[in-house]
Amino acid sequence: MSSEIKIDPKIIAEILKFSKNVAKAPKLVTAPDEIKLGTTPFDVVYEEDKVRLMHYKPMTDKQLHTPLIIAYAIINRYHILDIHPKKSWVKNLLEHGVDVYMIDWGTPSSIDKYLDFDDYVNGYLDNCVEFVKRESNVDKVSLQGYCTGGTMAAIYSSLHPENVKNFIATAPVIDGWKDTTVVSNLVRHIDVDKFVEIVGNMPPEFMYYCFSILKPFEQGVEKYIKFFKNIDDKNFVDNFMRIEKWLSDTPPIPGELFRQWIKDIYQDNLLIQNKMNVGGKNVSLRNIKMPLFTQVAVGDHLVSPECSMPLHYSVGSEDKTLKVYPTGHVGMIASSFSQKKILPELCQWLKVHS
Amino acid sequence: MKPESTKNVAEYYKHLSLFWTDLIHLMSSKPQALTSIGPMRNFTENAKKITTELIEGSAVLIEFNNSLTEYYRQLIDTWNESQKKVNFKAPKIPNDPEQFEAYKRVWIDIFDNDFTELFDSKKFGENYGKLVAKELELTKHWNNIMNVMLQSANLPNKQEIDDVYREIHSLRKRISKLESKLREKNTVKNIVK
Repeated sequence: MSSEIKIDPKIIAEILKFSKNVAKAPKLVTAPDEIKLGTTPFDVVYEEDKVRLMHYKPMTDKQLHTPLIIAYAIINRYHILDIHPKKSWVKNLLEHGVDVYMIDWGTPSSIDKYLDFDDYVNGYLDNCVEFVKRESNVDKVSLQGYCTGGTMAAIYSSLHPENVKNFIATAPVIDGWKDTTVVSNLVRHIDVDKFVEIVGNMPPEFMYYCFSILKPFEQGVEKYIKFFKNIDDKNFVDNFMRIEKWLSDTPPIPGELFRQWIKDIYQDNLLIQNKMNVGGKNVSLRNIKMPLFTQVAVGDHLVSPECSMPLHYSVGSEDKTLKVYPTGHVGMIASSFSQKKILPELCQWLKVHS
Repeated sequence: MKPESTKNVAEYYKHLSLFWTDLIHLMSSKPQALTSIGPMRNFTENAKKITTELIEGSAVLIEFNNSLTEYYRQLIDTWNESQKKVNFKAPKIPNDPEQFEAYKRVWIDIFDNDFTELFDSKKFGENYGKLVAKELELTKHWNNIMNVMLQSANLPNKQEIDDVYREIHSLRKRISKLESKLREKNTVKNIVK
């Protein structure tokens, strides 16, 4: 009886090729630290504490009357909306004649641990909106919020409807109890009071843990195998490294904001029940009466569509549009698909409503 | 005190350690008091606080380890279950690139599905919550020890720095409100002009 194992020589060739690719990777690939994210030129027009408001340089002779302010999320950084010239959300909007401002929330440190929703929504966001109104000489602005920035924009639109002409909610976190992602399961079981009392700000390491449990084998094994297999494909490698760099860079979240976030959105689910309180005022989604454009992704494993869609059904707006796209959380804002399908639809809507 | 369960054993040793630490502290503090004055006396008091924190921290460490063991048990059990499913679905060792690719796909899909199911489960969430809570308690004991040491070196501790942060936060808020009121007044003035 033979105990010999027959292996196809093609497998050996594949393994050797893979090893060769791994060996030559450092020569072909730029290190994450050497990559500069954010490619579209902008000016910082307003600063407050660590928050910056960026105004992107126009790319068309004529622009839409109403400027757009993008409230980026509090997780990771704004660069994802301008990750690559060919996949830049911001650049695409500029090419369609939209006057784009974006908020960079900065990197909170220990001194910022008492910042809460009131500071972010009624403070920083409101000050940015007032600044843009003055600069552009308009009474109202268009406001877009992505992910957790969508939640802040929803709260702002409810508390300051007089300042918002159009509201665009992109994968917003709204109904915490309906969120079917694994992250929501973890945060529901966390003693957030103890967390904030002892640690202060939510450290980035906690977010990295949350990322690591999202499809751990696809994201932790297959993704890197694909990377080494495609090491000679310049475009693929460049995109890969940009996204990797973006993923590995998330700032801490101020303790009080994190406490209110977890309790009010995920544990007690107050926002969707119109019971949330920010700066002593009740947040009612019914106060949102301006035109609303909600974008959700069916393959979103960070903010599930079931968590975002209730916004569409809870607002007081009569003019509202819900778009469901066959992509994921990042694919919705930084992919060829978003350039070809999602952004043209949004720009068309903005043109009609500006 | 008769040790009956793990908890009782931990309680017993905690009591035993505290009893002897307290007694030794009481016995030794008298001659120390005679020879040490001012800050040195303070240092002796601090040493007792640190011992208490260490003893209490050890009790938390036992509970932390229980949750950590459960955490790894859940991961290992899921891994074994997934591997069994993979073996059932793809029993043969792949021996050409196409088969290997198909095997890898099956492996990743089954493992991702099973682990996502685990991370989504109540038992995982609850144990994870406990694990984080115990880790936080350990951090708290460590913070308390650091606070004692900072105090004995006459430096501000965490609580005092937190008070400063809170004060700065409330000052920032007040300034921001005053600034916006001033802006509103100026706007009204300009309109009147």
